[in-house]
Amino acid sequence: MAATSVASAPSVSATSSIDQALADRLAAIVGARRVLFRPSELLTYTADALPSYFKQPALAVFPGTRDEVVAVVRELAACGVPFVPRGAGTGLSGGALADGVVLVGLNRLTRVISVDPDNMMATVEPGVVNVALSRAVGAYGLHYAPDPSSQAACTIGGNVAENAGGPHCLKYGVTTNHILALEVILPSGEIVTLGGTDGENEGYDLVGAFVGSEGCFGIALAITVRLSRNPEGVRTLLADFMSIDAAAQTVSAIVATGIIPAALEMIDQATIRAVESSIYAAGYPTDAAAALLIELDGAIAGLEHDVETVETLCRANGARTVRIARDEVERTRLWQGRKKAFGAMGRVSSHLVVQDAVVPRTKLPEVLAQIHRVSQQNRVKVCNVFHAGDGNLHPNIAYDASDADETARVHVAMREIMTLCVDAGGTITGEHGVGLDKIAYMELIFSPESLAAMCTLREVFDPERRSNPGKVVPVHSCREWHMSPAARPSASLA
Amino acid sequence: MTTSSISSAAHLRDCIRDASVRGTPLRITGAGTWLDAGRPVRSVESLSIQGLSGIVDYVPGDLTLTARAGTTLGEIRHETGKHNQWLALDPHGSDKGTLGATIATASAGPLASAFGTPRDLVLGLEFVTGTGSIARAGGRVVKNVAGFDLTRLMTGAWGTLAVLSEATVRLHACPQVDETIAVAIAGDSESLDRTRQLLRRLAFTPYACEVLSGPLAMSVLGRDEPVALFRLAGNIESVTAQRASLLELGQPVDVSSEAWTSLRAAEPTDAIVFRLSRHPSEIGTTWDEAVRLVDGAPGALLHATPARGIVRCILPSSEPTMARIGSALAAPPQSKRVGERMPERLWSAFPNRANSEIGGRLKQAFDPRGLLNPGILGNTV
Amino acid sequence: MSTPVVVPRERALPDSPLAKVQAGIDACVHCGFCLQACPTYLTLEDENDSPRGRIVLMRSLLEGTLTPTNDSVETHIARCLGCRACETVCPSGVPYGHLLEATRATLARSRPIPRIARAILAVFSRRSLLSLAMFGGRVMRATGIARLMSGLPGRIGFAMAMLTSTDRASSSSDEPGEYLSRGNGTRGNVSLLTGCVMEGLFAGTNAATERTLAVNDYLVARPAGQVCCGALHAHAGDDEAACELARSNIAAFEREQCDYVCVNAAGCGAMMKEYGHLFADDPEWHERAKTLSAKVRDVTELLSVAGPKRGGSVPIRVAYDAPCHLLHAQRVSSPPLDVLRAIPDLELVPLVESDVCCGSAGIYNLVEPETSNVVLDRKLENIEQTNADVVATGNPGCMMQIGAGLVRSGSRKSTVHLVDLLDRSYRRAARDSDGKRGGRAK
Repeated sequence: MAATSVASAPSVSATSSIDQALADRLAAIVGARRVLFRPSELLTYTADALPSYFKQPALAVFPGTRDEVVAVVRELAACGVPFVPRGAGTGLSGGALADGVVLVGLNRLTRVISVDPDNMMATVEPGVVNVALSRAVGAYGLHYAPDPSSQAACTIGGNVAENAGGPHCLKYGVTTNHILALEVILPSGEIVTLGGTDGENEGYDLVGAFVGSEGCFGIALAITVRLSRNPEGVRTLLADFMSIDAAAQTVSAIVATGIIPAALEMIDQATIRAVESSIYAAGYPTDAAAALLIELDGAIAGLEHDVETVETLCRANGARTVRIARDEVERTRLWQGRKKAFGAMGRVSSHLVVQDAVVPRTKLPEVLAQIHRVSQQNRVKVCNVFHAGDGNLHPNIAYDASDADETARVHVAMREIMTLCVDAGGTITGEHGVGLDKIAYMELIFSPESLAAMCTLREVFDPERRSNPGKVVPVHSCREWHMSPAARPSASLA
Repeated sequence: MTTSSISSAAHLRDCIRDASVRGTPLRITGAGTWLDAGRPVRSVESLSIQGLSGIVDYVPGDLTLTARAGTTLGEIRHETGKHNQWLALDPHGSDKGTLGATIATASAGPLASAFGTPRDLVLGLEFVTGTGSIARAGGRVVKNVAGFDLTRLMTGAWGTLAVLSEATVRLHACPQVDETIAVAIAGDSESLDRTRQLLRRLAFTPYACEVLSGPLAMSVLGRDEPVALFRLAGNIESVTAQRASLLELGQPVDVSSEAWTSLRAAEPTDAIVFRLSRHPSEIGTTWDEAVRLVDGAPGALLHATPARGIVRCILPSSEPTMARIGSALAAPPQSKRVGERMPERLWSAFPNRANSEIGGRLKQAFDPRGLLNPGILGNTV
Repeated sequence: MSTPVVVPRERALPDSPLAKVQAGIDACVHCGFCLQACPTYLTLEDENDSPRGRIVLMRSLLEGTLTPTNDSVETHIARCLGCRACETVCPSGVPYGHLLEATRATLARSRPIPRIARAILAVFSRRSLLSLAMFGGRVMRATGIARLMSGLPGRIGFAMAMLTSTDRASSSSDEPGEYLSRGNGTRGNVSLLTGCVMEGLFAGTNAATERTLAVNDYLVARPAGQVCCGALHAHAGDDEAACELARSNIAAFEREQCDYVCVNAAGCGAMMKEYGHLFADDPEWHERAKTLSAKVRDVTELLSVAGPKRGGSVPIRVAYDAPCHLLHAQRVSSPPLDVLRAIPDLELVPLVESDVCCGSAGIYNLVEPETSNVVLDRKLENIEQTNADVVATGNPGCMMQIGAGLVRSGSRKSTVHLVDLLDRSYRRAARDSDGKRGGRAK
């Protein structure tokens, strides 16, 4: 298991110092109610939204203010205890699991610190829920663009850690394209400001380095985000196809026109059926092989023109029907089906693994056919619901975890799918992050030297590797880096 | 100064390792068209990646392109144009500049208002660190969160942590209609504010909007009056509506799209160039500050990017100008200052960009021997 | 290696009510979408007090990781309001309300229900005791004793404030203007569940319900022999008492041969709609229970189908707070709004988090006063931010909970059942048309 490598992280002895005395010191900072130390109170914190991994923290602490976070991190630094930052626990990579270390919950920091509608930015605490931010700035005709499917529950801090994406990132970009500045507490307890809002940022792009660091570089105390104007018009289309190929071809045809849809999502038959039997039934045709959910937005002038172009392309590529949402209610319903698809898989089987590979868009038809083959060979149920516009696949495999044989087949199928995506020129994760779940796949796409360079970056922020230990980069990669001859000054000195 | 030219990533690694052995710092260059950019580098040897050129992979359907770092922007423009696609980067200078240098310096032009800077368009990088390791980050797909983001770390690091050898960038399909429109404006701070307010209100984002001072408009458009220069794109209906919405600013006049090329190349090669910036809502104030700074310098040119809150100042280099601007810059800055190019003695008025705790640690970690472009961003701690 | 964990499936509590709902527990994929819908999570900010956290505890009970006497289980299961807002947002369709009741029933086997809860439930189970209690309540309300005591700290003071608020609520329809029930009865026969608290403290609203239904062409009757719906007992885990009450009601309503059973208390309506589920394992009663459940309608469902017919002008600003057991348990969202929108000149003002529980939750406010107060405070803050004159809702618990909060905070706003507002509209229409004819009819 990947998590066993936690034990080989530098500060092993720390685990033993997570004791009642530490709990008391933390309670003095945050209040007794906000420190959980009894195992029965920690059970719910043993998993995130990927319920294939369970790791129990030794202790969980929930600071309620910026100053409490600072004091907690400094206390942990003083006694050398590793910790894992956690937002809402809606991640899909096991990234927020604390294996015998301290869990620092940031869900209580829910303050929108300031909004600057004129310059279209806002500063928030890390625990602000994604959709709550958009709600808070809605009165100004603005919103926060990255919209992960979990946006009703996930936090901006978690989004920053994971560099979260979402359906509308095709046009508007992912989290890193929307973060202007960060106030960060490093695991050492030092507070630094990365980026800035009062003019151009130049020099090292430390915001870029921090976003997507999966909690390994420290904790964001305040996050300044770019806000986006609400589009003047939005049109949502649902096109259904009798073959996956035809749907994939349509995706390429649309993108080639220069029209950038706000979102371009594909939903396969298995997913359609799961969604349609849930409370989020969106009226997707259950006999279709695949459906495309296409959203166009922007200024009203010219929007209709684009809608016609897209509709024509859908039909030319074999769409059976093209439905255009008439009003906001219908539009919301079409989207609910997509956004809640993952949860709806709970209806298929009791357990679920979700992948997040990205392949070049032109490889979609080929890759989807191969995934189908893998699922048949291994007799597993694969559902595909994904961001087709940017080639970000989400093969979901629903299975019964109490069945050891099925679980083993799921594992084989997962690895085969990942390998074929990588072989197609893709990557192992587009928006969920590496966490624990994909750490074993990192070596499929990165050389030891590349992984070592990542370790180097991590150690700039967290030299003791105490923040979220054992995630993202396999620990042995870091060793190799230190053994590489060029890294040893004595060896390279003439 | 001796220069070596590179032919492969492995060759690049060997050169860096060799420099490490000899303890010789290197000035990393691309096409060499912009050699006076950045602070003076303390090196005697130069390493050019110009030879490391050529498009490695380009699948138009994916709207991504992978090229070696020495590939010129012109070559990329030419190849992608065949498929009605483009790389939406227009750094100042010309298309002779290399992809690697553009990314390393995070250079951007007017298109940045709509498409962002290189950090928003680069998908993956291959680079050789100061310790002689060849590493890759990111990938060739448009969305990727695998591993820590070394791609963004290296973008804009001015080659101080690693030398770029290859990059994958995101392309865009060319719009149906792409028009360039000039609107004459007063050119005072109030007109800058009005332009910015209009942009903030519009339901669309123009591909570009630059306000040019009178002298710069003369050089670019042959009209001696301040103008707001717009680039409007999309389908025909959309562009018609966009153009109509500019009426409140003034009468839109069609001009050649060559204006953008001229704007990029407007400055003399030995010019003093720097930028001032603060919040976009303060663009009028920033513009006023720029006007005061360059007051009395013959041939001074100014242009502003209202949506980004930036004013760029171009001053033809001469002894009197240098003395004058030197004392003007000595006054405490009200806006953030970013230097592009200038003689060494003026640099003290610009903040040391590498001088932060983390900046110092990064340099120490990736280039512990200080081999790569030492001093170009300032001194590390 | 990132091997998915093989999860053992042991049943530590075979034959328990919880074991029967294992499939419902398995449907949870831990996605966390429920967190922001959960009033106790929003106010207590600990996942143990969220649906996802409680389901982990339930699963742990079945896996044997935790025992029913574990303090964490006890605390967090007891703290659940049972508002079922999580069900509305759950993409996996976890039947949380059933899981909660099954868990409480399972816990009740090893640990008695808290004394105060038992005492209240006992009163509701016995008609004579209930009548006496309600009579006492009315006396205290009428004499002003309730108002005097409403400022006292603790449960007593809060209970008195609840009582006081019912006075304000029922008085809202005490205004001149009477109208004849002019409907033609063509929409069907309706049997009214008079309810314990509704008839005891909101008798005026029950009368208004009958009048407004009649105007909208229903024939209304009050079946004899009806008792408490049993919801409070089921929520607390006292299944036996709940079933006994349900049987009495099924028998009473069967005798009426009605088309619909009308309920104007959302909590009771939700319960009666679930009688079928309650007797899922009882072959003798299952069919009868299902048949009755299928006839149950909230009063607003019946009214909105009929229009409702327009009345006279009621120019006030109204914030609507959705009762959880109407919105989340019964999934009735638009009919109450249809009713309010049908009232001329009534201005519906938006209420932030109108879909979040007020903390009443049956007898929760008396059993878990601390959490209830935190939840209520958030509700009151949201209400104070509106410019509403009254807060309309459709459940006695909510009217009294919010009402008590308003009384104790000295607010000028009050709560009202939305049927009373429609009734007022019809009165005004009658008065206006009487005025035009130059005299009072009747």
